[in-house]
Amino acid sequence: MATTTAAVTLTSDLLSDNMSVSATTTCMKAGTTADGLDGMEYGYLDLVTGDEYDLIGATPTASKASKLYLKNHSTDETYFIAITQNAQAIGKLYGGDWMFIPADFHDAAGDIAITANGGTNKICYALFHEGITLVTT
Amino acid sequence: MPTTTATITLSSADLLSDELALSTTMTLTKTTTSTGVEDTTGLNRKKITSTAKGTASGQITLYTADDFAAIPYLYIKNLETTVGNRIYVYDDTTSGDPTQFQLDAGDWGFIPMHGDKTYKAYATTNPTSIEFMVTGQDQ
Repeated sequence: MATTTAAVTLTSDLLSDNMSVSATTTCMKAGTTADGLDGMEYGYLDLVTGDEYDLIGATPTASKASKLYLKNHSTDETYFIAITQNAQAIGKLYGGDWMFIPADFHDAAGDIAITANGGTNKICYALFHEGITLVTT
Repeated sequence: MPTTTATITLSSADLLSDELALSTTMTLTKTTTSTGVEDTTGLNRKKITSTAKGTASGQITLYTADDFAAIPYLYIKNLETTVGNRIYVYDDTTSGDPTQFQLDAGDWGFIPMHGDKTYKAYATTNPTSIEFMVTGQDQ
């Protein structure tokens, strides 16, 4: 089995005492602690303005585990990408921001779609999954 | 100016033919500026006692619409250890309460949100422990 870990550390001096929060998870297939996600799709691309694009071209298998990492590598802090899932807005990534979400991208409508704003955005993404179905041409 | 950072590290020695080691850090800033955000809900740990979305009681409100100016950053973790004890995060502002994310035991997520929607959580099991924090700019 493949073992993939995702860790986050949040640090801040916002409060009276310094804050440091860390969390780590091993990316597992749905319903088990013994078998890790064994599929991965990775991309680094330019996202032009004007249209909404499906970030995930294939459909992860229904009711399976998926984890999505997405980062906006744009250096202009006014550029951003809008992110929707099943036509519902879920977030915005300005230049330099990243997100990590565990989700069930169960069908074509449930996939993640992205739109560039401000100019051509550079993005990097990684989808960890346990099986996908390619979309027919 | 306060400085708040979020670092993610993705790693695997055996998923690919070569080692996967991806790490990146972002500084949480006010929208379209390089000035750090100044407000946070602080770290919360609560028990979700609702196993349905909608009108049932026992759901946890993670964020209330327009509480912060865009972009509020949501950190969330499912503190359970039993596989299948899932947390569902849904958009309570939009008609139909669409589910946005689901976290199995041990899963965490980090989401820069739009800020104009209320997010709530319910779980498959009563009770389910959740940890969460929103950091951003109050308005």
